[in-house]
Amino acid sequence: MTAKMEVRGLSAWYGAKRALDGVTFDVGENSVTAIIGPSGCGKSTLIRCMNRMHELVPKAKVEGQVLLDGKNVYDLDAVAVRRRVGMVFQKANPFPTMSVYDNVAAGLRLNGVRDRDTLDATVEKSLKLAALWDEVKEGVDASGVSLSGGQQQRLCIARALAVEPEVLLMDEPCSALDPIATAKIEDLIFDLKREYTVVIVTHNMQQAARVADMTAFMYLGKLVELNRTRDLFEKPKETLTENYITGRFG
Amino acid sequence: MPTAAERKALRGGLQKLNENMVTLAELSELSIRKAVESLAHLDPESSQEVFTLDEEIYALQLEVERTCVDLIALHAPVAGDLRTITTSLKITTDLDRIGRYAKDVAETTLQIRQARPAGLDKVPNLSKMVEQTIEMVDAAVDAFVRRDAESVRNLGEVDDTVDAMHDEIFHDIVNDMKNGSLDVEVGARYILVVRHLERIADHAVNIGERVVYMVTGERVPRVRAADRAKGTNPAWPLGRDS
Repeated sequence: MTAKMEVRGLSAWYGAKRALDGVTFDVGENSVTAIIGPSGCGKSTLIRCMNRMHELVPKAKVEGQVLLDGKNVYDLDAVAVRRRVGMVFQKANPFPTMSVYDNVAAGLRLNGVRDRDTLDATVEKSLKLAALWDEVKEGVDASGVSLSGGQQQRLCIARALAVEPEVLLMDEPCSALDPIATAKIEDLIFDLKREYTVVIVTHNMQQAARVADMTAFMYLGKLVELNRTRDLFEKPKETLTENYITGRFG
Repeated sequence: MPTAAERKALRGGLQKLNENMVTLAELSELSIRKAVESLAHLDPESSQEVFTLDEEIYALQLEVERTCVDLIALHAPVAGDLRTITTSLKITTDLDRIGRYAKDVAETTLQIRQARPAGLDKVPNLSKMVEQTIEMVDAAVDAFVRRDAESVRNLGEVDDTVDAMHDEIFHDIVNDMKNGSLDVEVGARYILVVRHLERIADHAVNIGERVVYMVTGERVPRVRAADRAKGTNPAWPLGRDS
């Protein structure tokens, strides 16, 4: 599998506190990679470093490399990187004053797209990709926050997809959703890998097992094990991984 | 990661599963010993004990299956826990089959007794094959109980010797029947007994392979006896995990 992103010796700090310690791994193109680990292990920091969002935090520092198609994202324009490497957050965060349509179109408009036909086509395509079109096509002018929690999260995914990123980072995208909404997002993640490379941080190990091709286990800022998902959950290489996933931990 | 309460419930379930598996293994082993004893002495009481054991084994097998299904459904086990549960599910079938072959041997005992009294000594080398087979089951069960993969890695080789004994005894019995020194009906029944023992040894090998998987996560490649003898050991295809 070709590596879409390569993380090399990545360390990150919040002030004096080290959050990542020399993390190295590859993210395969058109695959889903899940990152699991206990709270505070550095999972979210890791993906925030992958699209240069970590540096937005005051006193944050990064060392090491994150290669996107072989080029270090820290040598590229940060905004351009974030367009190519999109992010979906734990809590759905549609723009509260915008309609469903405008939420999805916001990124395109920020990038200077004004043509109505292009916007219409992209909004419809993105909502379809996010498996939301059938539920909102009669009401795209309704407020984004009028949707249910699961729909709002899919709206945020549609918004991220509208600018046609190459990689989609998802930070616990289902943690606030009920099982039905979670199932829809998981189906979506499974479908998205045909066109995108997906990295998902999750606390839910069954979710990682269901959607991911590869799973990484992190502990205390270090990558303990990256393995094929079925191998990690059936026969992990590291005792630390086994202890965590079987609940023998701490 | 499971919560402490979930973990406690899973641990309790796994402990119950292990206890039942150990009992099941012991009953299966006991049924072979009783079956062989019944054959050696043409003892109908021992045969009857084997029939009772067979019923107990079946009931316990169902109990183990129920426990495994519950653990999978309720706890979504992973890694070593998952391998223990799936291995237990597989091994119960082998242990049940061992119990069924023991029952077949006990039934044969009754038939031989009815046909013509004759003991184990009538068939040379049978007692040696019996010992070897019981040793294999002992080793497999012991490895399961102690979670010891290394002690059963060579069970395939031991099985080759049981297979060789089977062939040798088969020919001896056929020759004895041909030259009239062994009653044909009795000889035919002994051939069945020898076949049952050979199959019991195969199930011991299965258990050994499963124990290796349970402990290490490694699937043991199956090697043909002829290839093992030649030292070439090409593994049979194992599918996508090989």
